[in-house]
Amino acid sequence: MRLLLVEDEIDIQSFLRSSLEEAGYQVEAAADGKTAERLAVDGQFDILIVDLGLPDQDGISLILKLRQQGLSAPVLILSARRSVDDRVRGLEQGGDDYLTKPFALAELLARVRNLLKRNSPPGSEATRLRVLDLELDLLRREATRSGQVLQLTSQEFVLLEYLCRNAGRVVTRSMILDKVWGMRIQPDTNVVDVHIYRLRGKVDGQGQQPLIRTLRGVGYVLKDR
Amino acid sequence: MSSKTDKPIMRSAAWRISLWATLAFAVGTMLVFAFLHRFVASDIQRRSDAWLSGEVEVLGDVAERTPKDALYGRVVGEVAELAGKEVPNKLLSQGSSNDSVFFLQTGGDGSLKLWVGAGSGEPNLKAIRATRIVPHRPTDLHVQGLAIPFRVASIRIDDGSYIYLGLSERDELRVLRNLGLRFFLFWLLLVLFGFGIVFFTTRRMLTHVREITEAASRIGHSDLNARVPTTARKDEVGNLALTLNHMLDRIESSIRQLHTITDSLAHDLRSPLTAIRGKLEMSLSAVTQIEQAEPIVSVIEELDRLTDFLNKSLDVAEAKADALRLNRVPVDLDELLRIMINLYEPSMSEKGLQIRLHSGGPLTIEADAALLHRMIANLFDNELKHLPAACTVNLRLMAEDDAASFILEDDGPGFDAEVLPHLFERRVKGKESNGHGLGLAFVDAVARAHGGAVAAGNRESGGARISVTLPVASLQHAGSPAAVKHGAH
Repeated sequence: MRLLLVEDEIDIQSFLRSSLEEAGYQVEAAADGKTAERLAVDGQFDILIVDLGLPDQDGISLILKLRQQGLSAPVLILSARRSVDDRVRGLEQGGDDYLTKPFALAELLARVRNLLKRNSPPGSEATRLRVLDLELDLLRREATRSGQVLQLTSQEFVLLEYLCRNAGRVVTRSMILDKVWGMRIQPDTNVVDVHIYRLRGKVDGQGQQPLIRTLRGVGYVLKDR
Repeated sequence: MSSKTDKPIMRSAAWRISLWATLAFAVGTMLVFAFLHRFVASDIQRRSDAWLSGEVEVLGDVAERTPKDALYGRVVGEVAELAGKEVPNKLLSQGSSNDSVFFLQTGGDGSLKLWVGAGSGEPNLKAIRATRIVPHRPTDLHVQGLAIPFRVASIRIDDGSYIYLGLSERDELRVLRNLGLRFFLFWLLLVLFGFGIVFFTTRRMLTHVREITEAASRIGHSDLNARVPTTARKDEVGNLALTLNHMLDRIESSIRQLHTITDSLAHDLRSPLTAIRGKLEMSLSAVTQIEQAEPIVSVIEELDRLTDFLNKSLDVAEAKADALRLNRVPVDLDELLRIMINLYEPSMSEKGLQIRLHSGGPLTIEADAALLHRMIANLFDNELKHLPAACTVNLRLMAEDDAASFILEDDGPGFDAEVLPHLFERRVKGKESNGHGLGLAFVDAVARAHGGAVAAGNRESGGARISVTLPVASLQHAGSPAAVKHGAH
């Protein structure tokens, strides 16, 4: 997977680069819009990460320019602005995503993976999800583990579905809040954790291998192996 | 905008100003006319008195010189009649009988000696006897049976008899009455004309003032880009509009400066925070033992709290300056509250708290969904952190005229008495609170940015009560309808 990272802060660029490389991406980095344009035209990138505050131009105009030149790869926008302006929302609706600084590295990686998956040709629109011995019937909204039906509320089903779709990857609390409840908030209480504990109580019964793992300070993973 | 206001014209300032101005003008012109009228009246009187005195002298002279024979009466009578035809101020010839003038001569004993005039002369004699008439000085004489008095001049002639010449004041009064009528009509016309001019000029001016007021209030409610209407005229009202616009320019530029400052401040803090957090996370992934990870995780958590504090402080600061940027979309408060309750309910029941929503169904308002989420999360976080177990949180959502209000009540200990007056100030928190004290300030900021309000206090039966009112629609319908994502994909 080839990834173009456009970020002018050298500090951030270097740690993003190393952690992305560690995660298995081939990373090209640019510190300004000009370099980014040149690189984007030459190389075939699967995904771009663009910081909005570039020294020579606005990140948005860079993305628009690249899109006009036929760029189809998804773009993850990094922004230090607090209120995300409407143009960013517009882009986001076009299938891309944004992250506000500061962000959790795990979240960035998770979102990059999400974007890549979204962009890959969809496999047949599955009606069933399977992770190890956990099975979700998306039509009947029913989850079973080892053939045993789990008594889930509709909200818990949505949460489990989200975890299953991202099985094996870290999902952060803010990603869960964003995708499951549709809100970008940062509660200073453990609201998400309690939902996860409850779900875990139902999914990981006694004597079964625990599937939902907590990564402190980062988020959760649904184990897929 | 140029539509006439709903309030009746009688209650407008223009109406009151013109009424008072007209009153002053009417009294002034009335005084001038009254003075003129008096002046004319006294002039007429003076002229008729002069005529009377002159004529009576002539008549006295004639009466003295004419021998007292049988012809005396005829001679004096004819002279008197001739004099009567030269009456001043006479308007119309009264036909044959001249009743506006009389001539009367009394003998030494006071009896009627000679009479020229209409009627018998007896009532006139009686009236003369009843009135003290000093020779050479014209006096008013009220004759019984006649409404209009005579002006009478007298002279004493040598034989001891008196000659009286009387002139009815009828013509004089008619002249004065005519004059008065004309003065009155003219005055009325002048006053009405003056009223009209004052009313229309003040109304024109005040309409402009009203337009400025309307525009200014619209600017207060919505966008700072708008300006009040100006005119080319350089009068006080024109200056008012110009000054207001200058003021708005300055406000707008300071708001823009504030945005620049907060943006760059946020940016300058965020980048290092991002770098720190990223490096911590990387070192966390290299750590193999749980004990070593612990301090790194807690530093990351501290950093996240710091970030949250940074965000809220900047939001509160911007909202205090009425500069919070909103992205308004239709938001169903009922649905939003249900989702929030769904999110918080497990944590609450874990703590032994109950939360209930009393709502009359969907209630859609124009608002910034993300800010509302954060606002309600703030309120719920507060409840979650501060309520002791076994308490109940009641939420009521109601539609009022053109506002939506939701009231949050609990049966916990309520707010501390000492923080109660400062609930919406930054950095106010209860003794046991571990938050950063921005919660309610932020809630207040968000409500105010939407043109709403927040009230917080303690219930009489104990427990806290926070009510948030938000207008259903904003004056400004800007903002692209960005969809709020729900559920998983």
